Amino acid sequence: MSAVAARRDRARRDPVNLLLGAWGVAVFVFLFLPIVMIVIFSFNEGRALVVWKEFGLRPYVDALDNPTIRNAIFTSLRAALGAAVIATVCGTLAGIALARRPGRWTIGFLALVFLVLVTPEIVDAISLLIWYVRIGGPFGPDNTILNYGLVRLWVAHSIFATAVVTLIVRARLAGLDESLEEASADLYATPASTFRKITLPLMMPAVLAGALLAFSLSLDNTIISSFVSTANASPWPVYVFSAVRAVLRPEIAAMSTLVLLLTLFALGLVALVLRRGGASGEEAAAMLVGVEAAPGAPGK
Amino acid sequence: MAGIENAEIEAAETQAAGAGVGAGAERPRRRAPRFLLAIPAWFLFVFFFAVPVLFIFYYSFGYKPDIFRTIATDHLSFDRYGDSFSDTFRDVFSGTLQVSLTGTLLCLLIGFPFAYWLAVKVPARWRGLLLGLTIVPFWTNFLVRTLGWLILLQPNGPLSGVLQDLHLIGSPLDILDTREAVQLGVVYNYLPLMIFPLFVALDRLDPALREASKDLGANRWRTFRQVTLPLASPGVIAGLLLVFIPLTGDYITALVLGGAKGNMVGALVASQFNTAQNWALGSAMAVILILMILGTVAIFAAIGLVGRALIQRRRRVEIAVEPA
Repeated sequence: MSAVAARRDRARRDPVNLLLGAWGVAVFVFLFLPIVMIVIFSFNEGRALVVWKEFGLRPYVDALDNPTIRNAIFTSLRAALGAAVIATVCGTLAGIALARRPGRWTIGFLALVFLVLVTPEIVDAISLLIWYVRIGGPFGPDNTILNYGLVRLWVAHSIFATAVVTLIVRARLAGLDESLEEASADLYATPASTFRKITLPLMMPAVLAGALLAFSLSLDNTIISSFVSTANASPWPVYVFSAVRAVLRPEIAAMSTLVLLLTLFALGLVALVLRRGGASGEEAAAMLVGVEAAPGAPGK
Repeated sequence: MAGIENAEIEAAETQAAGAGVGAGAERPRRRAPRFLLAIPAWFLFVFFFAVPVLFIFYYSFGYKPDIFRTIATDHLSFDRYGDSFSDTFRDVFSGTLQVSLTGTLLCLLIGFPFAYWLAVKVPARWRGLLLGLTIVPFWTNFLVRTLGWLILLQPNGPLSGVLQDLHLIGSPLDILDTREAVQLGVVYNYLPLMIFPLFVALDRLDPALREASKDLGANRWRTFRQVTLPLASPGVIAGLLLVFIPLTGDYITALVLGGAKGNMVGALVASQFNTAQNWALGSAMAVILILMILGTVAIFAAIGLVGRALIQRRRRVEIAVEPA
């Protein structure tokens, strides 16, 4: 016991370990510094965001009072919800097909997925702008059933996210033993009930992580949104971006802080669900960024 | 009750035993194509990605006929590519490549020790929480994070004040609207994308491999160079791609922190569509941006492959010599 303690003590005093530890703390400070700034300056009573005047809650009152800001937030949430649904459905189905029904088609499809992932956002943005104008229909102002601005955002945001979900689900299924599904089929379960009772529960963490990632990618998207969105469906990042070019007011920091709190709450909730489902803290955290943690991670 | 259950199980087992034959006979009847489930995603990718991007390629050969129209394609030429390489635009292309290559390298240099510390040095019970903390910036809107830097870097902002109090700088911080501010902003914004794949790769490494290397007499540096680094290389490659590709196309960070100095290729493309209304020139620039990204990735992939082949050849000689 004391030998272990001594070794741990020596490891702690080791200069390389100390340097690595200091580096780790420094990177954390670097990562959080600007976020802390936003939170602090969200209590700025001044007229301009970047010039501190005095502490107060007025930015929060103004932000919640401002109908344009409220609309932008609601548009963002609705766009993210729709994009997440499309991406999760399309990506999950494609992931299953890739993992369980591979064939000659796989190469072409994966090439397409790869191209989607490497194409810069600005290229997607201009090509979709041209395309939406050209095809019209549900994407044009003539459409009376749906809000066409929202439809544009749903589709635009779901493309990249679908590629991400596809890869996450495929990776998860590839890591699962197919014999479980075969056993179920051998026991005379129909393909539908095998899917419902075996495949779906096993891949659920990947689907959930993919859906969350799709949601957050949509909330974050600025470049594509600023090209395809319309005046009546303009999401939050587009509002912030236009404010950058005009006047930056503390309301933006206030609303951003509220969104951040909401995000943290959602993240915590999902991490809890994933941990309840048997994942270690490390695995849960890794899933939230779309990567599979090591199967036998020491954190278990 | 139990008797019935047993009978059911027995029946199921006999049926299961014959299922191998049954499945073989059954399979040809179900003729669903193997890619059936991928059709929705395929449709989305083809109809809303491949076809629109092909239009960009097509438009890049067109021209702007007059100030009222955005594009004409009745005669096609490479002229827009020539226009894209005029002096002013060429500076922006080389500047963008410089910012993105430097940024990617800095992300690797900052991210690797951090990911190593998180995956190897941090006690296991803290690891989940700390990894969770690294996710928070990734989940915060990137435009808002950039605004955080805009506040921080103001000439009379918080950082400037602290640095002046410490007498590290004599006059107010004057970094906004410079290339350095842009560089800082992109490194910050894309660092998480480098950390995650590196962490996963390092986390997967069996500690026993490092211990074995130590037991065989390798020192720390040699263990890192010959065991850790080669095994972590898939994570390094994934991180480099994940950072380089979106960083090269990004222009928002540069616009916020660099002002007029932060002109990236993305901003050129955007201005051709938003203000100049010259779709042909904008499309040509977009195509060049794609080629620039793919070309850089291809060059580094080639260098990497050749380098690996050389190292492997050298190592093989070492192993062949040592037993003698």
